[in-house]
Amino acid sequence: MEVATNEALAGAIREALRMIIDPELGRSIIDLGLIYDVRVEDGGIAHVTMTTTTRGCPASEYLKEAVRNCVWYVPGIEYAEVRLTYEPAWTPEMMAD
Amino acid sequence: MPGATLSRWTMSYFAAACLFLVIGECMLAAGYGYPFETVAAFGTLALVHVLAIGWLGLLMLGALLQFVPVLVAVPLRGERLAGPTLLLVIAGLLLLLGGFAALAGATTLSPNLLPIGAVALVTGFALAAGMFATTLFAARPLPHPARFVAAGLLALMATVLIGACFAALLSGAIESDLLTALVVRGVPLHAALGLGGWLSFTAIGVSYRLLPMFMLAPDDVRPTTKIAWWAGIAALGLVAASVGLAVIGPSAMAGLLVLAMLLTLGLTVLYGVDAVRLYRQRRRRAVELNIRASYAAFVALIASVAMFALPAMRAAAGEGAAALVYLFFFGWLSGLGLAQLYKIVPFLTWLECYGPVLGRVPVPRVQDLVSERRASLWFCLYHAAVSAATFSLFMGSHPSFRIAALAQLAATIALIAEFLRARNLSAVAAASRVPIGVPRPHLFLPPFRPQE
Repeated sequence: MEVATNEALAGAIREALRMIIDPELGRSIIDLGLIYDVRVEDGGIAHVTMTTTTRGCPASEYLKEAVRNCVWYVPGIEYAEVRLTYEPAWTPEMMAD
Repeated sequence: MPGATLSRWTMSYFAAACLFLVIGECMLAAGYGYPFETVAAFGTLALVHVLAIGWLGLLMLGALLQFVPVLVAVPLRGERLAGPTLLLVIAGLLLLLGGFAALAGATTLSPNLLPIGAVALVTGFALAAGMFATTLFAARPLPHPARFVAAGLLALMATVLIGACFAALLSGAIESDLLTALVVRGVPLHAALGLGGWLSFTAIGVSYRLLPMFMLAPDDVRPTTKIAWWAGIAALGLVAASVGLAVIGPSAMAGLLVLAMLLTLGLTVLYGVDAVRLYRQRRRRAVELNIRASYAAFVALIASVAMFALPAMRAAAGEGAAALVYLFFFGWLSGLGLAQLYKIVPFLTWLECYGPVLGRVPVPRVQDLVSERRASLWFCLYHAAVSAATFSLFMGSHPSFRIAALAQLAATIALIAEFLRARNLSAVAAASRVPIGVPRPHLFLPPFRPQE
């Protein structure tokens, strides 16, 4: 039962993250494939692993902070941890068509 | 976290650079310097340095402050030096101009302003090169685009040191047969190291990173890119060796410079091949104006270098191949600079204004801060005017050159107005222009509050 709830919360997080756009490309970070993983543990603890289109991009910290804020406001989430990674590096093939 | 933050001083560098571009183009339209005087006249030297140091030098330094950390994913070292560097370069340039005016006959000014200005310029550029070099050093092994920048920084320091020798000799501060030999034969080498080694090599390196980034094209290093790098390095090495030969053995210079020119032609062709490949492999269907305008600059680069390699064209281009230098300077370097400003200014403005509220409120895209339809007209006018001015220099027609220079000035001012509109968020709907809690960005001064 708890697993199903956590998966539903992860889905809600992905849906909420659609409002965040990459400023240069103007598309949602979900559609761009910048969110690598969303996991929710018992107690509403969310772990998000994300990347940016360019390593060292000046917008990276803003995007990370935006994801943290957005996840935090999803009902049922008590704590949000966002990790920025470049392994693997993002490629345009990761975009949704 | 490896990465870059918003550069506080970049916009100030850009503002000063644009101001010097307008001043330089006003001088051209007013009939100051070549072709109304000789290439070696002090008026021409003043004009050239307003444009090369004031416009392109400051533009490149401002861009590198923001993009060196992007190239190597390492924060900029010594960023606190960015403000003093800007002041030193501007002060050095103004002193240099005062020195040229003194040599041209302005009795209220002293020629000693030349070496004083040179000291300020050497110090300012050395501080900048130090910031970038220590940042690059921390990121070894360097990715390919950053290697071009590292080589460009070496060429920058060689250029300013040779320039300082010229300043010392011309002012009479130092008398030396060796320096006299350098001044007699070294002016084209000073120009080649500055416009080719420092500005072009660095611009090529940065564009190898920015083009894939903006077009979503693969940024893997191809054999063409590697050969272009080695061709460029060899050409730079030959020009640097020629500086030594200018002093001790000028008879061998000509052969080296022909070889350097052929290598530069090879680099240019390979860079053009890479640019076309990136365009064809892009995943982003819509090509924005900054990219389209950059490709116009690439055409000017290839045209100017290819024509320069032909002795007949070089001879027809006026004193010192001035028409081709003009096309290289305004069509390639300035054309690329204006095209990239058209993207970087709104991008940095977006980060400053909307970055802190991203994810909390709906925000516009970077592209929503500009109006491409109007600006594309200005870019067309700019490149048409540069082409007309180049043609006028070939024809030796002074009146048509002045008309073309005036049109170029008008297009430049119109483009700067577009940058200011982006900075003022004029194209964004009033309701969402400035989110609550976010201060409106200063036009060109850095934010006074520390970045969050």
